[in-house]
Amino acid sequence: MQQTDTTNNKPFDGLKVVDISGTVATSYACKLFADYGARVTNVEPPQGFPTRQLKPFLPKAQGEEPVSAMHGYLHCNKASMVGNHNNLATEPAITQADLIIYNPATLPSEDSLAGININTCAISWFGLTGPYAQYQGSDGVIQALTGLMKGIGEKDGPPIIPNGVQAQIVGGLCAFNGALGHLLGQLMGNLTQPFALDNSIFEANMCLTDLMAINAFNDNPLPPRMGINRFPPSYPLGIWPCKDGWLGVTALTPSQWRAFCLLLCLDDFIDVDFFNASINRLASADVLEPAIMRALESCSAEALFHKGQAMRIPLARVPTMEELFTVDQYVSRQAFSSISMNDKTFLAPSIPFRLFTTPPHFGGRVAALGEDNPIATEAKV
Amino acid sequence: MSTEKLLNGLRIIDLSMGWAGPLAARNLADMGAQVIKVESCTHFDWWRSWEATPEWIADNGAEKALPYLSVNRNKLDITLDLESSVGRQLLLDLVARADVVIENYSGSVLPKLKLDYPHLKAVNKELVMVSMPAFGSTGPWANYRAYGSTVEHSSGLPHLTGSAHQPPAMQHVALGDAIGGLNGTAALLSALWHKKKTGRGQFVDLSQVECLIPLGAEGILHQAVNNSPPPRTGNDHPDFSPHGVYPCQGDDQWILIQIMSETEWSALQSLCAELSQFGDISDRLARRPALNKTLAQWTANQSSPALMAHLQDLGITAATLNNGIDLLKNQQHQARGYMQLLDRAFVGSQPHPSLPFRNGSEPSPLQNPAPTLGQHNKEVLGGILGLSDAELEKLTLEGVIGDKPKLPN
Repeated sequence: MQQTDTTNNKPFDGLKVVDISGTVATSYACKLFADYGARVTNVEPPQGFPTRQLKPFLPKAQGEEPVSAMHGYLHCNKASMVGNHNNLATEPAITQADLIIYNPATLPSEDSLAGININTCAISWFGLTGPYAQYQGSDGVIQALTGLMKGIGEKDGPPIIPNGVQAQIVGGLCAFNGALGHLLGQLMGNLTQPFALDNSIFEANMCLTDLMAINAFNDNPLPPRMGINRFPPSYPLGIWPCKDGWLGVTALTPSQWRAFCLLLCLDDFIDVDFFNASINRLASADVLEPAIMRALESCSAEALFHKGQAMRIPLARVPTMEELFTVDQYVSRQAFSSISMNDKTFLAPSIPFRLFTTPPHFGGRVAALGEDNPIATEAKV
Repeated sequence: MSTEKLLNGLRIIDLSMGWAGPLAARNLADMGAQVIKVESCTHFDWWRSWEATPEWIADNGAEKALPYLSVNRNKLDITLDLESSVGRQLLLDLVARADVVIENYSGSVLPKLKLDYPHLKAVNKELVMVSMPAFGSTGPWANYRAYGSTVEHSSGLPHLTGSAHQPPAMQHVALGDAIGGLNGTAALLSALWHKKKTGRGQFVDLSQVECLIPLGAEGILHQAVNNSPPPRTGNDHPDFSPHGVYPCQGDDQWILIQIMSETEWSALQSLCAELSQFGDISDRLARRPALNKTLAQWTANQSSPALMAHLQDLGITAATLNNGIDLLKNQQHQARGYMQLLDRAFVGSQPHPSLPFRNGSEPSPLQNPAPTLGQHNKEVLGGILGLSDAELEKLTLEGVIGDKPKLPN
């Protein structure tokens, strides 16, 4: 493999990106630029970005203001300045930027960025046009509308709302792709004008479920929700308890199914041709499941995982939050790295893709609000 | 210049299969890069089928797999038997003329074929290679195999979904595949940016599991700073109430309602007189079961889409729970032209999702449907590598190239 660049160069060295909104989606898009070396400046309102109010908070002493670990995760390796949001078009950080990322709902007015001749990237729940453009959004709203939520949960419902800020992370990731694609087009000479991107978090999350729509178009809609950890098109495909934790199982092909039967000594099923077809196993799940659960309950998930992988079965440990930080594979790859914020440190996910010659920042420091104001020595907030 | 021509001039060799890798490359194809997908007649993309039979081949099943069609549009497709020395050399010849190779095999496959990064770099010093196995290219699990579901299992996310009395709950939809694909696009673009700036290619490693981990950031950070996981509270929110999924008129019809401010609560109370018995947020959190029951009784006889529109018009965070059929009729998608139709041999007109970003008010137009197996053998091997018709015929006779799948011997 290549050696790391000893000059510590990063791919986006010299690129200037500004976030003027500080939503999760704009922050995540900017984070990907920052982790690979762009100079990202948060132009925050006097009260700070909305991400500063997001849970979880760092442990604090009595009387201290809460400090958001989520803000820290999203904003390390960035600069922070307090800007005049009523006159954004004249802020030097903005007028000198290569790219401005924002959420239109956070702007003081629709024409806050009017007249600037700079690349912009708007990220909103539903996009800038269409009948939903002014609707209230949330991660849950997006997961409901994309169809993701309806498939999760007990058969009789209610469906389960997925945790956290997942839809916004996906929206920020897609916006990063759109913005970088257009910047690259400019670099290659294929695009000569500034761009004004409209990124919809709804459309970004459709990548998870667009096949549902395509199947429905072809008169082959997905069956209704089948219960927790039971999904088309195959079985077994789920999570089951073992004596030392949880095992994730996916058996798709006939050979994977037979190997799984061998692994668990499910002799009654191994030579049944009917079960070679994934769709037939799914239809017979209520027959198969008790036997699988009985076989698993006395086994070690850890041992089955490694043994199954050796037999080419895609098994998985299903680590708890606590275990996640100690999984040897993730430790060896530095999947989590240290964030430094307000004299405290904590672990957070590292950037997922690794350029070997020009590696990313792993973790980093979080700027205090206004720390990088132009007259920084006097104007720290 | 419009989005569909942004990356004209880039050539990508796509060795990936399934969902994640092909989606990563498709996004660049949609932006105008030339993406050459490489399959073989015996080792075709498994997303065409993982249970191929002679009957399936006879019925042209390989050309009718909807998932395959979705993530391979705007690409060229060639077949090469990479286990043959001729096929392997032809791939190397193509790589020598490319900017990027992307692959998502499990870790041991390309080294066995002597087509891993060191071998490819030997023919193209400036090559960008994006490798995206499930667990990454390094570490003790580098050769372990996985599907999108395995990736979700391994990410910790299932422990954040559902209630404490339930097992760790999957979201599925092969979540790991789609998110891995989006990150693959980010990786490709980042490395290409660096290459265009410096002239230097490099190896890029992406773990699909690590791609999914940021989606659990809230729970992971909770564990990191509190040394304990967040409680699994199902649809209840620790700070807001009402907050949940409520039944509506019809079979399996539901609406999501998330009241996250007193303004929204007042608006909801104005619609539903029965809610007047509940007070401020502390009262609502304390009496959550009774409140959810009252609200569910109110929603139960209403149409979910109509109720969503009514609530949203009043500024209340609400959404109907769609299924695939609903998505085809979704008025936001229709107004923005999100689904585009492309005609394709064997399957006719098919809907395709647009890129999720647009420069201006219209989506970037999609150009071409997914290729058929080996459709561009002549265009690529003849047009780019200069092989003659006679040489292509010989390759066909020797089984190095072809346009029909074959079952392995």
